[in-house]
Amino acid sequence: MLPLISIILATLAVGTVATFFAGTKARWVALATSVVFLLETALLFLGYSGWPGYSTSLVPGFSDTESYSWISLPWLHINYTVGVDGISLVLILLTAILQIATVVYSWGETHRPAGYFGLMMLTCLGCFGVFVALDILLFFLFWEAVLVPMFFLIGYWGGPNRRYAAIKFFVYTHVASIVMLVGLLALVFYSGATSFDFSAVYAAARGLSPVVQTFLFLALFFGFAVKFPIVPFHTWLPDAHVEAPTGGSVLLAGLLLKLGGYGLIRWAVEVLPSGFHATQPLLFVIAFLTIIWGSVLSLAQRDLKRLVAYSSINHMGIVLLAIALNSSLGLLAAVLLMFAHGIVSGLLFMGAGSVHHQYGTRDISSLGGITPSAPSLATMIMAGSLASLGLPALIGFPAEFTAFLATWNDLGYWVMIPLAVLVVTAAFYLWMMQRMLFGPPRAVPADAHDLPWYEGAGMGLLVVLTVLFGILPSLLVNVIVNSPIKGWPGT
Amino acid sequence: MTIGSFIGPFLPELVLLAAALLVFLLDVVKVRRIEVTGGISAAAFGVALLLVVADLGFTPLAFLASIPSSQIDAIPAVGAAPLWAFTSLGLVFQALFLLAAFLVALASTSRPSNERGAPIFYGLLILATLGMLLVAVAVDLIFLLLAIEVVSIASYLLVAYARKERRGLEAAMKFFVIGALSTVLSFFGASLLFGAYGTTNLDVIRAAGTAVPDPTLVLLGYGFLVAGLAFKITLVPFHAWAVDVYDGAPDDVSAFLAGGTKKIGIFAFFLVFLGPVLVLGSAGPSGYGLFGGSVALGPSLQLTLGILAVLTMTVGNVLALLQKEMKRMLAYSSISQAGYMMIGIVIGTAPALGGATLQVFAHVLMKTGAFLVVGAVAALGVGPLISDWRGLGSRRPFLGVAFGLMLLSLAGVPLTVGFVSKFVLFSAAVHAQGWFVWLAVAGLLNSALSVYYYARVLKVMFFDAPPAPDPALAGAVVGAAGPPALPVGGLGYGRAATIALIAVLIVLFGIYPQAVLGPIQSAANHFVSVGA
Repeated sequence: MLPLISIILATLAVGTVATFFAGTKARWVALATSVVFLLETALLFLGYSGWPGYSTSLVPGFSDTESYSWISLPWLHINYTVGVDGISLVLILLTAILQIATVVYSWGETHRPAGYFGLMMLTCLGCFGVFVALDILLFFLFWEAVLVPMFFLIGYWGGPNRRYAAIKFFVYTHVASIVMLVGLLALVFYSGATSFDFSAVYAAARGLSPVVQTFLFLALFFGFAVKFPIVPFHTWLPDAHVEAPTGGSVLLAGLLLKLGGYGLIRWAVEVLPSGFHATQPLLFVIAFLTIIWGSVLSLAQRDLKRLVAYSSINHMGIVLLAIALNSSLGLLAAVLLMFAHGIVSGLLFMGAGSVHHQYGTRDISSLGGITPSAPSLATMIMAGSLASLGLPALIGFPAEFTAFLATWNDLGYWVMIPLAVLVVTAAFYLWMMQRMLFGPPRAVPADAHDLPWYEGAGMGLLVVLTVLFGILPSLLVNVIVNSPIKGWPGT
Repeated sequence: MTIGSFIGPFLPELVLLAAALLVFLLDVVKVRRIEVTGGISAAAFGVALLLVVADLGFTPLAFLASIPSSQIDAIPAVGAAPLWAFTSLGLVFQALFLLAAFLVALASTSRPSNERGAPIFYGLLILATLGMLLVAVAVDLIFLLLAIEVVSIASYLLVAYARKERRGLEAAMKFFVIGALSTVLSFFGASLLFGAYGTTNLDVIRAAGTAVPDPTLVLLGYGFLVAGLAFKITLVPFHAWAVDVYDGAPDDVSAFLAGGTKKIGIFAFFLVFLGPVLVLGSAGPSGYGLFGGSVALGPSLQLTLGILAVLTMTVGNVLALLQKEMKRMLAYSSISQAGYMMIGIVIGTAPALGGATLQVFAHVLMKTGAFLVVGAVAALGVGPLISDWRGLGSRRPFLGVAFGLMLLSLAGVPLTVGFVSKFVLFSAAVHAQGWFVWLAVAGLLNSALSVYYYARVLKVMFFDAPPAPDPALAGAVVGAAGPPALPVGGLGYGRAATIALIAVLIVLFGIYPQAVLGPIQSAANHFVSVGA
């Protein structure tokens, strides 16, 4: 069988380097790489051995696995081990989609395009690596590798307050990574795992006492929570989003936030069940807090980007809630939510960026009546907002429905909290649309025109997918539930 | 013992001795061109390096091996108290010392060829390296301290050899006074240990452990040794001299001091303190009487060294943050790196020792390289301040990228050797469990802190616009007033080749560390098992 994952990594690596050196042709190289990446992802889907009836692989439960010795000492065994399961596969698909959409959307970038596109490719490479890594060191390398390009994207191409935002982003996430690294190392050495491989750690960690597991879980959770982001570690996110260039915002919201959720599922929840169980009440409290806090603060925002950023925090709170339920339905909901939020928040950030390009401001209250002058932009923003507030037949609905169903199953009437918050979410999106898209035109320059073709194409792709997966969520569900964990209905 | 069996194992040392004599002889007959003397010394270091690597069991070079493998890591016979012994960890350190010396010798051939002090510089460089090789084979406290003294005296002179430089002389004076103090403390400690054990052989001392009539002497002896040797590796609070010396010394000498000679202190720490840390670590019940109380030597030594390690990395990093001059910043960062290496000896397990040795290896590459780049940039006429380096990265991409790699490696960014060494070291700390985990936490937080000042230099080099009359460009074409322009854009072949080599090695061993990590770890395993 082809070492498909290594081939994809190589594709992305070569593409990234080529983009950096391509000068003004960078966007073409980036687009070509993204297309190849998407095709290879399709191959990964077709060859996915999680489907029933496939033979077992090198690492039990994972498909397309590869493993080579990297560092081997009597006390330290580190391998290059990669593989995918249903959860990572869905998130890889998200990576490929967002990469291609962002590259197309940013087609008009003229300020140092080689660096801009190269750093975006590097971010996607890092995210892909995180989703496929099945070795702790490899996972950590990719995890950190995401940080650096995003730091430069914000710090060099960002808005007026970019330096502050970039440094805040870096410091928050880097300190969290360090705590996480200590947790991961402790996980290996305290459990006596024979190597840094996922399977070895997974097997050995069962032997740890619940107390140790709880401490390790908290250390790992801290690392993931900042990336997530969870209240009270969320303050870097609105700043980073507001200052980041549009492409950076899309990748930040669409992909980087998913790393926290994915890491939590893969390396903490699965590996440390007793620690997870002991921490569950705390997770519920934090999740509810995050849901409420993110939503209430969205109401107070006047800046369109900041509004989307706070609604991201709200959505990530629902993801955490779904994960914390510790049921297979909850996990399914969490992955669906992450995918949906990746597509929808990408769409909304692109919309916010386009509004800013066209009208020179993102201040909702000073904008108005966009629809007549820019009908397609208004349509895209509307599609994104409706999907975000969970309108049926759009991608947000199946995800949130599953999440609330799972919450009802496990927590009963507590589901009223996220449901009530959903009303608030709907309110602020409706207010935003009513204020900005309709009504009398305000702050509309005389030469106002609709989207340039590339911005329209990038957003259009995401709108199509929003509808497609909204109508046919089974395309994703079938892949996710074939993940070999936690006694899925399918296995 | 026949003369042959004596000469064989010491072949690398003899090669260096012969080269030193040759260089001084050539000086007498007035052959002083830097290409000749520099070439001879670089060749001597290269040959000695190959010999040592062959002794380490590197198969393709097996025909060069001069030490019978039965003599390496041999367990000493009962009653024997030799002065020296060949351990594979000692050989690893010899290889590291020779690597540093080779890099410095090769790079410094690019100085102006009519420089007068060349034979003195190279002769002293070889003699210092010879002393370093002897440190790495010592098993006797007096032999060890004498070998350190050989290195020290040669390095005082190295700092001062450019006699017209006032800063250099001042630095040498400071270095000498502090060095003398350190020597006195070390020998006093050694004499107290001799009083307690009746021997200065470290194996015998280790075996005797707690079985001595007057344990208080042991405690005091180790205390003075910690202080004396701490000066050598610039542990805080014994570090204050280092910055002025590294700053005032000629650039190539700074590279050698920070990248090379400092590491003899690390090895000396391994030799002297591994025994007590390992053997007495569990000697809980009896303890040592002091001031009427009872002190368990092993744990209290570990705790003391652990505190010193954390203090060293933190103080070094914080002070590095505040520096405006490039050389002083590198000097402080070098101090903080010594703190990381100390983690290995505090823990004293084979993994930690291996991690610390890898950190030494990484540091040899990074720090030697960084100071050599500083020398090269200074030779181009760029000022000493960090802000003088504005725009250097875009004007001089080779130097910029190479220096950038070295800084990234110092900061511990993945895919560089500096990341691997820190990763292994901190893994070893977590592996050891107990309170050692906090050493890993302290080290990790410190490396996060250090990212800031390394990143600042990267920003200055790559993001800031160069100053209007660009000295980095002027230096290459000056010619008329100053010395003639050198090839490779004013760098010279030797310097350019060395910097390129170091940059390649940093990435190479960052991606595939197993090549050095394997031998280092097996050497550390032997060292701990023989030692204990």
